[in-house]
Amino acid sequence: MSANPAVRNRLGLVLVLVLLVLLPRIIQDRYHLHIIVMMGIFTILTLSWNLLAGYTGQLNLGHAAFFGIGAYTSALLAMNTGLSPWLGLPAGGLVAAFFGFLLGFPALRLSGPYLAITTIGFAEILRLVAVNWVDLTRGSLGLSGIPLLTPIEIGSWSMKFYFEKDYYYVVLAGVLLTIFCMRRLVRSEFGVSLQALRDDEPGAQSIGINISQYKLAVFTVSAFFAGFAGALFAHFSRLVSPETMALHTTFDILTMTMVGGLGTLLGPVLGAVMLTFLSEWLRYFEDLIQFDIRLVVYGLLLILTILFMREGLAGVVKWIADWIRSALKGEKGGTPS
Amino acid sequence: MDALFFQQIVNGLIIGSIYSLIAIGLTMIFGVMQISNFAHGDYSMVGAYVAVFILAWIPGWLGWIGSLIAAAAAVGVLGIVTERLVFRPLLTRWTDIDMIMVSIGLFILLENLAQLFFGATPRMLQDPFRGATVNIGVASTSVLRLTCFVLAGVTIGGLQLFLNRSKMGVAIRATAQNRFAAQLMGIDINRVYSATFALGAAIAGVGGVLYGTLFAVHPLMGAMPTLKAFVVTILGGMGNLRGAIFGGLILGTAEALGGNYIAMEYKHAIGFFIIILVLLIRPSGLFGKKEAA
Amino acid sequence: MTEILRTEGLTKYFGGLCAVHDVTFSMKEGEILGLIGPNGAGKTTLINMISSALTPSRGEILFKGERSSGIGAHKANLLGIARTFQIVRIFSKLTVLENVLAGVVDRRRKGPWRLIAESIFKPRDGGKAERTALETADRLLDFVEISRYRDEKAENLPYALTKRLEMARALATDPALLLLDEPSSGLNPAELNGQIELIRKINGQGITILIIEHVMKVIMDISDRLIVLHYGEKIAEGQPQEVYSDPQVVEAYLGDETDASH
Repeated sequence: MSANPAVRNRLGLVLVLVLLVLLPRIIQDRYHLHIIVMMGIFTILTLSWNLLAGYTGQLNLGHAAFFGIGAYTSALLAMNTGLSPWLGLPAGGLVAAFFGFLLGFPALRLSGPYLAITTIGFAEILRLVAVNWVDLTRGSLGLSGIPLLTPIEIGSWSMKFYFEKDYYYVVLAGVLLTIFCMRRLVRSEFGVSLQALRDDEPGAQSIGINISQYKLAVFTVSAFFAGFAGALFAHFSRLVSPETMALHTTFDILTMTMVGGLGTLLGPVLGAVMLTFLSEWLRYFEDLIQFDIRLVVYGLLLILTILFMREGLAGVVKWIADWIRSALKGEKGGTPS
Repeated sequence: MDALFFQQIVNGLIIGSIYSLIAIGLTMIFGVMQISNFAHGDYSMVGAYVAVFILAWIPGWLGWIGSLIAAAAAVGVLGIVTERLVFRPLLTRWTDIDMIMVSIGLFILLENLAQLFFGATPRMLQDPFRGATVNIGVASTSVLRLTCFVLAGVTIGGLQLFLNRSKMGVAIRATAQNRFAAQLMGIDINRVYSATFALGAAIAGVGGVLYGTLFAVHPLMGAMPTLKAFVVTILGGMGNLRGAIFGGLILGTAEALGGNYIAMEYKHAIGFFIIILVLLIRPSGLFGKKEAA
Repeated sequence: MTEILRTEGLTKYFGGLCAVHDVTFSMKEGEILGLIGPNGAGKTTLINMISSALTPSRGEILFKGERSSGIGAHKANLLGIARTFQIVRIFSKLTVLENVLAGVVDRRRKGPWRLIAESIFKPRDGGKAERTALETADRLLDFVEISRYRDEKAENLPYALTKRLEMARALATDPALLLLDEPSSGLNPAELNGQIELIRKINGQGITILIIEHVMKVIMDISDRLIVLHYGEKIAEGQPQEVYSDPQVVEAYLGDETDASH
């Protein structure tokens, strides 16, 4: 009989980590690495959105605004004050967190479509500010030539960040950090409180949960990670435009999270990964049809997921895992315990 | 009165009437089924494209009238199809998030299907009045725009008539007030749902033709009307038809005045500013009903 | 015995409708006070004001000598008032254990930011705090006798057991006063006895209980005193037997054709 489950899990995890670290040796071409880095950035976004929507039940359709704020903040700091992009990463997160805190206030009193529209409005207003405050943001043209991450040099070894490969490791670290934090947050007294709030607000109040404080807190934390992702994006793609805050960016995040599985940790990761793969795969069909059907598929997937596969891909995985587990138990022989 | 000011009011009321038209379908659907349909603006978009094709076939104002009717019919059918396939299955296992998400999925789907089939280049609907203008006091506007205003009013009037006088209309109102009682009275709820969606979508389709006449027709045009319709519905109270009428006119005028006197670039955000303010003070909208604790 | 709760002239209007009018009473520590009255008499509204889910239109509530009207439901809980709901409000997607753990969290000392910090930077106590919390939760589950369902999703629980879960969750917040809103509704006769037992057990732990009930068997059996509400006004107060035979009370119930039959 193989080792006990905890050890098996650890082993599996180590294996995955090793693979992830070695990945740039296996996939060397820059185009694919670029896609993978973006996949990582989106993973951070989906995880952060999921904290708000999946674990706390707050429908934030303006999430892209936090992404954009983080991106602009880090870019502007680097370009105008010469701040090291490495410091820009948390700075982007913090500024976005502040805006998250702000957005939390309307969320205190609104829900459902009212909250949805308010969050959309919030993002739209910010996008228009980015378009029109040309002195600061260069308007629709956006900020280009954003500095690369400054090189790391330890002895003779260095990371110069000229190529996608180096960004891959930074984003990988970012993703792992996000997963680590999310896991801790969610499996803690804080996480249980959020879910209580989600499942029944009056019930949560009756056990001493201050709804307002918790909502503000979760908006702030969620926005921080989205802003952090934005800052990473800024120094990776080196171009930030108001489009980063557009509604369709939020819709991308939302689709990935829902299809992956709302309210779990695996879901957002799976969603970001699978939909990015799908997206690339569909590009091959783009040559046959004049226009890309990627978004048609996105829309269809979202509808189908909610109608037929509510738990998303994570739910399917769980179902398969349960099935395997019970099948294995069955095979152990028939003596009832 | 300052001529420019009056002109803006006229412009605002005209565009506002179209907002009202589109929003009234949305608010009606919400009132009857509590569904917030984020794809609603896409009904308008489809309506506009119907007009594109009809007008290519039969130009002039005959074609224009024809496209209004055709749009209503086609989009009405689309409404029933989407209701049956997408929304009705969720009615039994309801959550706010699911409903809004599935309608977002529908929105993405319709928008991009349109882009696939019709291409991304904007189309223009020809002015059947060939640019004729008319004067209203010190302001002037095109005959086309005035006609749109009148048509919006007529359509809304027709809707009110239908809801008050026809059997199905009464059934719809009854269901909006109390679903269970309506069923107990022998009303076939499923038919009411289909009819509500058909009606709401059809009207949005007509609104789309009018909207497309004033602006361009392109696959992504549904987003604006959707958001504007939501702003109007929140202003007027979700489920409140009269509120939608006033809300639309108010939004249109606010945009025209605000765009002209404050900042043109933020014109489209004016609606959002307004509702954020309104919702901060009254979380259930200006005329909305407070939900029972 | 000390007075733990007092209401003075408590009144609540909903628009033009007066739901509760000028209700004054007090509770002694450790007693079980029953609150009865025909449907719509204002009992739940009264409880909602005491638990601070609603703010009174007029009047005062004093809990442990301090003003507690309108402070907000969560604050009331932090002060020591816990409640259950007429229609059970459990956290359906969480497990039974997690429901209780949510109540165990020491919210008097820790707000959300502290919890966030503690979740990411786990305090170096070798998991002691976690284990203590789990032990407390398990003890409570045992107390209400639903330990079997510990790891089940709360939404899968049979109705009668969700009521017990709600009680365990309320108890987890370490209250001095427990407000029970129709704890017997939806229970069959067999389950009723168990419920009475449980409420007695809770009282035995020193917790003062205010219980709204329709089912006469339960309320007569369990209450030290009774208060009767009718059209929002207190029409009787006293020992169960005297209240039961009070002509005003009888008329209120018969006149409304409600269930004096239980």
